[in-house]
Amino acid sequence: MKQLISLKVNGTTHEVAVEPYWTLLNVIRDHLGLTGTKRGCDSGDCGACTVIMNGKPVNSCLVLAVDARDRDILTIEGLAQDGKLHPLQEAFIEKGGIQCGYCTPGMIMMAKALLDENPRPTEAQVRQAIAGNLCRCTGYVKIVEAILAASEAMTPAKP
Amino acid sequence: MPEYKVIGRPALRVDAAEKATGKAVYTQDVKLPGLLYAKVLRSPYPHARILRVDTSVAERMPGVKAVLTIRDVPQHRTGLMLQDHYIFAKDKVRHVGDEIAAVAAVDEETAQKAVEAIEVDYEELPSVFDVEEAMREGAPVIHEDLPSYDMGPGHQYPHTMKGGTNICGLYKLRKGDVDKGFQGADYVFEDTFKVHTFYHGYIEPHACTASYDPTSGKVTVWTSTQRPFMARAYLSKTFNLPMTKVRVVGTRVGGGFGGKTRPRHERFPVALSMKTGRPVNMVMTRDEDIAAYCSPAAVVKLKMGVKADGAIVALAMDMIWDTGGYGESIHYSRGPIEALPGPYDIPNVKIDSYAVYTNKMPAYSYRGRIMPQPTFAVESALDIISERLGLDPVEVRMKNLFQEGSINAAGQALHSVGARDCLQKVAQAIGWGRAPGPNRGISVVSYHKYPPTQASSAVVRLNEDGTVQLICGAPEIGQGTQTALSMICAEELGVPLEDVSMPIYDTDHTPFEAGAIGDRITTCAGNAIRIAAADARAQALAIAANMLKVNKEDLTVEDGRILVRDAPEMWTTLPRVCAAAHTRLGGPIVGRGSYLGNDSMLEMDAETGQMGGVSRSWKYGAQAAEVEVDPQTGEVKVLKVVCAQDVGKAINPLIIEGQMDGAVLMGLGLSLWEETAFDEGKVANPNFMDYRLPTAMEGVSLEHIIVEHASPDGPFGAKGAGEQSTVPTAAVMANAIYNAVGVRIKDLPLTAEKVLSALGQQRAQSAGRI
Repeated sequence: MKQLISLKVNGTTHEVAVEPYWTLLNVIRDHLGLTGTKRGCDSGDCGACTVIMNGKPVNSCLVLAVDARDRDILTIEGLAQDGKLHPLQEAFIEKGGIQCGYCTPGMIMMAKALLDENPRPTEAQVRQAIAGNLCRCTGYVKIVEAILAASEAMTPAKP
Repeated sequence: MPEYKVIGRPALRVDAAEKATGKAVYTQDVKLPGLLYAKVLRSPYPHARILRVDTSVAERMPGVKAVLTIRDVPQHRTGLMLQDHYIFAKDKVRHVGDEIAAVAAVDEETAQKAVEAIEVDYEELPSVFDVEEAMREGAPVIHEDLPSYDMGPGHQYPHTMKGGTNICGLYKLRKGDVDKGFQGADYVFEDTFKVHTFYHGYIEPHACTASYDPTSGKVTVWTSTQRPFMARAYLSKTFNLPMTKVRVVGTRVGGGFGGKTRPRHERFPVALSMKTGRPVNMVMTRDEDIAAYCSPAAVVKLKMGVKADGAIVALAMDMIWDTGGYGESIHYSRGPIEALPGPYDIPNVKIDSYAVYTNKMPAYSYRGRIMPQPTFAVESALDIISERLGLDPVEVRMKNLFQEGSINAAGQALHSVGARDCLQKVAQAIGWGRAPGPNRGISVVSYHKYPPTQASSAVVRLNEDGTVQLICGAPEIGQGTQTALSMICAEELGVPLEDVSMPIYDTDHTPFEAGAIGDRITTCAGNAIRIAAADARAQALAIAANMLKVNKEDLTVEDGRILVRDAPEMWTTLPRVCAAAHTRLGGPIVGRGSYLGNDSMLEMDAETGQMGGVSRSWKYGAQAAEVEVDPQTGEVKVLKVVCAQDVGKAINPLIIEGQMDGAVLMGLGLSLWEETAFDEGKVANPNFMDYRLPTAMEGVSLEHIIVEHASPDGPFGAKGAGEQSTVPTAAVMANAIYNAVGVRIKDLPLTAEKVLSALGQQRAQSAGRI
């Protein structure tokens, strides 16, 4: 039995009729057409579907759409503002942190959640934060470099 | 050294921005009106006769649009390499997961329920899971009709199969007289090494959408593949469609690593779309994917004879590859057989390389092109032998390594050999010769490989404004193809990189390209593109010569300007030439390039494997590591890895560093932690909780050393760079663990449990001695 819920995604409120077993990932991708969020395992193990919900990173494949009702959701599509890329997006591009790109949206959202909470993380804190986001291409080296570079660009160290 | 304008620089990837913003379209993102969803019924048994299949309940379920079994599809065998399977299992199943039926329904849940409603009666048959057992006389025969099978469209070589056995491939390599070699040796080492099964671990699972148009009889396919033209060839053959009626449309691919080299699951959405006339999407769940794609397990029986000074005089090897229930990896027995002895000048070599069926899932290619498995054996053996002879293992390698003009085991003379250079550099970087401290060990390993030489073609179109369309079917699977190939095109044409646009492939519009396997894109597609760009450039210069009233030989292109040598006041620009070509002079400029390379495998002597040479882009490398072993737990901590690759010429060093980073962590994963575990042929750990991919916590920092010994054959000397650094890592780890704590493990993976148990045995032995 479908229920009508409202979802606030990237600042826009959508009314969607959802089955109670539909996941947030399912609704974002298949009903709102926001396919930037990736589906990799449907079991919360790979992190490719990471979005930010009320400021916290979540695996959207593990969140039921009905439980996301009235929450504030940010996906990769909502990160660039007026065509200007977020510093994390710029750093991933410039540092070579992107190869196949399938983990990238989830990885960037996880990194954003980290920097929102801890603007100047150490390398160990960065690695800890993205430990639930799998990447097979990069060995994480340039991803970690990118996140640290973005952190520096957004919050320059005090002299 | 020529001065390059575009290549050799760390240009940013041309596909990065769309991937960073979520705009990149992968197969799962293709949404078509009226889309149906497919699910497949798979065998729960490793080997069984199919007695009855009843789909009647499934067919009547609301929302179900089609249920197919072997009764409903063309009944001939198919396969890209060996034509040994049907679209659906016929009469019997040969591995857990063998596909019996497929359903298309309005959503995935309905399709799955319908699959579960299909009734099948089986009669179980004796199974065999161990590849050596499968070779023995009296083992259950998995393919009774074996000697009658035809080769598929992806297999190019003469091939031996043994009827009445499970041996579906056998290749031989013979050089010198191996018996005499062993007789003349001062020391002969003989042992068996085993390599386990592991998973590719791409984050995008296999996915395919097929859309059949009954009016035109044409099927359009979006699929997550490394080889779009092989997908077309396979589907064309499987469904008896001419190639004009199969179109494979490109999307982004979320990693491949060898797991997306053989079309397989594509046949189900295609069959269902042909039946329903509606587009059908199939996405493998992660547990399906882990239980359907893997590397081949391998057994290496190795015998090596050396002189007291460490000179290798003879090598005999039985290389046994486990293909699983179908021969998707029979090419492994051929593979680069001439590479198996490692990068060493050995006068006497005898190799028998087998591909053998077992009742496990079919094995696929894997990053490193079959070289991680034999390299583990050869490089472990070299360290063992060095220690027994009291020699320095780096010096032993240095003594035997190929150099300029060496003749390899298949009779090919080698050129541009960067082997010694790589070894010296990593040995120095890791501090070879120092004592690393308690429970710490260091090791240094050499290796080589070559990219398979298969056909590529490309078209370079110059637009009216002088910008460039590079049309080539090489897929971008994350390895940086699109950027590197655009750079090669820009360099040859003399234009800036941003003037070149390379759209994603579409088999209807892009010329043939054999696909992303074994590092071949840079050399094969790169050469085709360089030829096409040179063709376009020559045409542009001919028009410019006409415009400037000079000889075209006197012209040169620089940054899009066409200059007359020795007459700086006379010049024009590429945009002006292109505009003229489109309106009044000569017609639009279209450059064309085809490349096949100098592959002489077809002339290979079947008894000796001797041939004129497979590739002139042999590449060399060396890797070193320092590890620390916890003697209480057996846990191996990787402290440092140094990675040297002879890439010929680095087209884009930033991308190559990224390839090294990923390749090494993948190598560490498969050496230390990862294993596809089987229980009676069924995968026991089909999810990312139980199949442990390395996370950022396991990531290590690398020292990258890019070595450039230009290939006479590669575009601008390039040899390709994507896979290399996965090859030696297992051997590096095994040797470093031995160096740290004195335990030698000969079967991968090198888990903490195995290290701990070996340490326990070591303690028991030394206690016994006292």
